[in-house]
Amino acid sequence: MTTEVTAGGKPFIHHHSAHCESGVTSALFRDKGVEISEPMIFGIGSGIFFGHLPFVKWVGLPISTFRSHPGSVFRKAAKRLGGEFVTKRYRSVQKGMDELRRVLAGGQIVGLTTNIYWLSYFPNRFRFQFNGHNIIILHEIENGFRVSDPVLDHPVDCLTEDLERARFARGPLEPRGFMYYPLSVNPHPDLRAACIAGMKDTCNMMLRIPLPIFGIRGMRFLAKRIMKSGEKSGFKEAARQLGNIVRMQEEVGTGGAGFRYMYAAFLQEAADLFGSDELAELSNDMTAIGDIWREFAVVSARIIKQRGQSDETFAKAGGLMLICAGREKQLFKDLDKVTRKLKA
Amino acid sequence: MELEDEIFNDGLPKAYYKQNDNGQYVLETDAPWAEKVSCALIIAGNRARLEEIRKAVLAGQQSPLCYYMEMRQMEPGMLAKAAGIVVFRVRRHLRPEIFAKLKPSVLYRYTKALRVTMEELKTVPNN
Repeated sequence: MTTEVTAGGKPFIHHHSAHCESGVTSALFRDKGVEISEPMIFGIGSGIFFGHLPFVKWVGLPISTFRSHPGSVFRKAAKRLGGEFVTKRYRSVQKGMDELRRVLAGGQIVGLTTNIYWLSYFPNRFRFQFNGHNIIILHEIENGFRVSDPVLDHPVDCLTEDLERARFARGPLEPRGFMYYPLSVNPHPDLRAACIAGMKDTCNMMLRIPLPIFGIRGMRFLAKRIMKSGEKSGFKEAARQLGNIVRMQEEVGTGGAGFRYMYAAFLQEAADLFGSDELAELSNDMTAIGDIWREFAVVSARIIKQRGQSDETFAKAGGLMLICAGREKQLFKDLDKVTRKLKA
Repeated sequence: MELEDEIFNDGLPKAYYKQNDNGQYVLETDAPWAEKVSCALIIAGNRARLEEIRKAVLAGQQSPLCYYMEMRQMEPGMLAKAAGIVVFRVRRHLRPEIFAKLKPSVLYRYTKALRVTMEELKTVPNN
């Protein structure tokens, strides 16, 4: 935790968080005086998800995602907590930067969507062409901006040139200078109603999307693909794809085990909020599922590391994912029943 | 030192949720082993590809544009959008004989999109 001062002279406490989007959203709420934690935002915004998109390629690798669409956590959480936000996209770089400066001068902190590759304060391992990274701008400094990046544990400086590039990067999911800041926030949000709405939405997304690539069905689909991938596309390519899945699961700001631990943290907080033992039970289940996901990651890492010499096989890795799918299906069915009983 | 220790030894830890002894969730900053391995695999793969392309450029099979596109982890589609040049032209410019005949105005667009200087864009580093 580090304290910074915004342009308006208000103190801003930087919290280290696991995921960029929920971290930024919770920081914006905190700045307006609503104490809300990162997992809470993640749960209310229905961040947990699964999807495997074999036909969308990212540097030659199919996309597997453990979260909902970038931007939706912020949008849903803001709606459910009753915050009024200004959101804007720009065609012109100059206009976008001018507007940012104008809002900062008014003493408001601003959330931005950027391309993570062009933010040069990151070391190499973070950097790849991904257009959905969220940061908070605190105030302007000499030829740059003071940035509170929730993924890092302290605020950093960013050059104006870098920020311009990052905000107006081209490619899939273009941010087009996306900028958001709160106009007014309900000082006493109805957390219980928001939690229920978030959990219901999550259950629907995980269980009831009638396509075989999303939710639990998506997990099964990917598991079967992994099982076959060793013979189908050769060891090297299969290991590369598996490595990408593990990277998506553990690395890109998930808080461990593909957001499963973060969701367990949310369920724990929700259990305290409602005083519900059932939710506490589900939180423990979620942790257990997270442990299986992590085991899947370890098995996969061994496959990659040993280059085919170890006992671990693609079939075992896929099998672990099938177990995850089965247990998550049960969990979300239970969660669905529990949320129906809860009173806002 | 192994690659994964090397790339994770930069003093910028990420946060991970973990249960403490009381069962409460807290943030900690130790990266899990599986993450390190997979991240190292991807980065090693990228480096190997870049090196391969560099050799191909020196051998005259690819244009330097291909090298810088790979360096920025882009694809022809993304580069086309960033430079404002149609995709099929970008793909054509990956061939060295066509790249050599490009006008400075086209090269200028690529230097802007890839953030390299004009001199850099015409060659690749020699070692």
